[in-house]
Amino acid sequence: MKPAAPLLPLLPALVLLPMALVLPGLLHGGGWELLGAFAAAALHPSGDPLVLGSLVGGLGTTVGMALLGWAMSLLLGVPLGLLSSRLLWRSLVGTALPAELVRRLLAVPRSIHELIWGLLLLQLVGQQPAVAVLAIAIPFGALVARVVSDLLDALPERNLQGLLAAGTPAPAALLTALGPPLLPGLISYGGYRLECALRSATLLGVFGLGGLGNELLLTLQSLQFRELWSGLWLLLAVMLSLEALVSALRRRWSMPARLALERRQPVGRSSRELVLAAAALVPLLLGVGRALAVDPAALLHWESLPPLPTGGWQAALQLPWLTLVGETVLLTTLAAALAVGGAPLLLLLVAPWPWGRWLLRLVWALGRLWPPPLTALLLLFLFKPSLWIAALALGFHNLGILGRLLLEGVEAAGPEREDALRSGGSGARLALLYGRFSGLARSYLAYGAYRADVILRETVVVGLVAGTGLGSQLRESLSAFAFDQLALLLAAYALLTLLGEDLSDRARRALLRP
Amino acid sequence: MPARERWTAVALGLSLALGTVVLTPSLRPAAAQASRPVLRISAIPDQNPEKLNRLYGLVAGELSRQLSVPVKYVPMTDYAAAVTAFRTGDLDLVWFGGLTGVQARLQKPSARVLAQRDIDVSFRSIFIANTRSGLQPVRTIDGLRELRGRRFTFGSENSTSGRLMPQYFLAQAGVKPSQFAGGAPGFSGSHDATIALVQSGAYEAGAVNEQVWRASLHNGKASRAKVMAIWTSPGYPDYHWIAQGNLDARYGQGFTAKLQKAILSWRPSDPEQKVILGLFGAQQFIKATPGEYKRIEQVGREIGKIR
Repeated sequence: MKPAAPLLPLLPALVLLPMALVLPGLLHGGGWELLGAFAAAALHPSGDPLVLGSLVGGLGTTVGMALLGWAMSLLLGVPLGLLSSRLLWRSLVGTALPAELVRRLLAVPRSIHELIWGLLLLQLVGQQPAVAVLAIAIPFGALVARVVSDLLDALPERNLQGLLAAGTPAPAALLTALGPPLLPGLISYGGYRLECALRSATLLGVFGLGGLGNELLLTLQSLQFRELWSGLWLLLAVMLSLEALVSALRRRWSMPARLALERRQPVGRSSRELVLAAAALVPLLLGVGRALAVDPAALLHWESLPPLPTGGWQAALQLPWLTLVGETVLLTTLAAALAVGGAPLLLLLVAPWPWGRWLLRLVWALGRLWPPPLTALLLLFLFKPSLWIAALALGFHNLGILGRLLLEGVEAAGPEREDALRSGGSGARLALLYGRFSGLARSYLAYGAYRADVILRETVVVGLVAGTGLGSQLRESLSAFAFDQLALLLAAYALLTLLGEDLSDRARRALLRP
Repeated sequence: MPARERWTAVALGLSLALGTVVLTPSLRPAAAQASRPVLRISAIPDQNPEKLNRLYGLVAGELSRQLSVPVKYVPMTDYAAAVTAFRTGDLDLVWFGGLTGVQARLQKPSARVLAQRDIDVSFRSIFIANTRSGLQPVRTIDGLRELRGRRFTFGSENSTSGRLMPQYFLAQAGVKPSQFAGGAPGFSGSHDATIALVQSGAYEAGAVNEQVWRASLHNGKASRAKVMAIWTSPGYPDYHWIAQGNLDARYGQGFTAKLQKAILSWRPSDPEQKVILGLFGAQQFIKATPGEYKRIEQVGREIGKIR
């Protein structure tokens, strides 16, 4: 029997059952007092000007790294996206072969998480402000390239063929026919990437690449919770303002939302505002680069790696690969199920209460805000280290991202059907389920499939803390400067994420098929 | 040209002009720095950054006064990053731990071992436990077997006194890291963090460096009612100053010897130097030789941190 469409998004939440069975066994409760102190400190963040000064400085660095990394990823991604567009090559030279080649090549930088890029670059060029910027720009650039080429290749070709048939030169025809329809999707996606860049920059900081993340980790490690909360509240304010700004601009310029039910036509787009915003960005970025002392030339200052011991490769091959990969896959599945299934379940649970949604919004914002390794460290106050704890931390973070998206979709879906069901006597939860979820179910799950793919990449982040999967081995190999092990680990990660990407693509196509 | 396009053009022009203005001055300081080479010193981040900033700020000032060269402290956020920065030549003089020092010299064979503290000749690790854990002080190394099945945390992955040697002594007692509760030890990140986590009960036991443990008892960060020492390890060589091999070429003949002499000359009789030595937990610095760290290298290889 096939479950009804609105119930589909709830199915992954079944993962809560085994969780409820396993977690009590892992509870050691040694740190209840600490957790209490942590929670209490939320209401009494430190107001010490010295602390605040250093936090604001760190925040500035984080935001600056995010901005620069984001801008560079767009600069890299848009041309690479054009290069990997089948349509473009077909129109210009008659064959799509080069596009396929570029696509394959770009899959590698994309498959490796920005944190790994950061830690690797740190090994190669030393501690430089430019490292974090580049670490964000490389995988993000490859992601932007993929989205640009997918957007391009999905555009209707009619206008282009018309122009070409009328004898317009190919470059001019491409620009005229594809430029304007590409822009809204690109800008909407670009805004989303900026939000991602802020989260990534914070995370990179946690691992010592500069900025607020490092202060968050240090205050947590030294149990200075009031200072920790000052930093978290500051970061929350910045994150929420950025999200509000991006979504306001998206609405103002009539760009498509990410989980849109219908694609709105970009009418009345204010091109002048767009150009002005872009123009304002140039001096801003240069100023930020200068303030952070980002020196691109420092990246060229490579130092050869230390020599590898003989027999190192042999030893590297003998790592427990099967266990490492198995743990990574299990971690991904658990975290993805928690995040995808948790969001609609929580929304349904709080449906009867008007304040419920606001509470959820706050919890989800905190989920997005907290880098997963920090959540994992907090959980270790109460639980023994285990794969489940890592999954919980990773799931919570992604729940914050998916939940916000689902709520946006639900609120944009229009109240008619829900109202009709309510006036027909249905309860608040049923009305929400059948009135709003049913239309969204497929596109939400499709986005969930994409998110699972992102989660697979992110396992490295909690693996480093919770001692699970490829991520934990990565940390050991990095600190032992075992570059042979590192190379194999990276290859394993790349292979795994490419497989995952393929799977999630298939799932998405199947879900979105009309 | 319609008004809106003119506006756009003006804005673009302005932004480009502003961009050049912002960019140009950034080139000047770099040129000025080239004539006066700054001696860049650093240390592995084994304690809270406030403490490190204070200590190495003082060290930079003292060295600058004695050697008449500008000295700058560059904070590091990670043990491995300090080793890498030394390899890439971004640091000239670093206060390394036993393990990181060996790693750094293996990656940069020209490096010179300059000095260690009087306490580093025979440095010790302390195993600590939460008083409510039921763990009791043990007499012999075999007593460490009590730690099987307990929640246990090391300091940083690359710490000599907070990970390498404790893991070595645990192995001698027959305790593998996978035998701790949850199948793995924690890595708190620093000695201060280990003390705080064990004291709170989040971990039942941990291993820290003796000098930080004593300092924490002394300044009240560690409360005897909540956390206690259960075993003190035998001594082993630990922290030391390592300098780049090319300092003579960059600062003039004999500079490395002058640098070593300056560090060895610090005495508690000088008020400034007394504060520095106090923060280091030492009476004075003494000469160190690479040979003393052979044992650390060997243990590092056994545990897989040196290859």
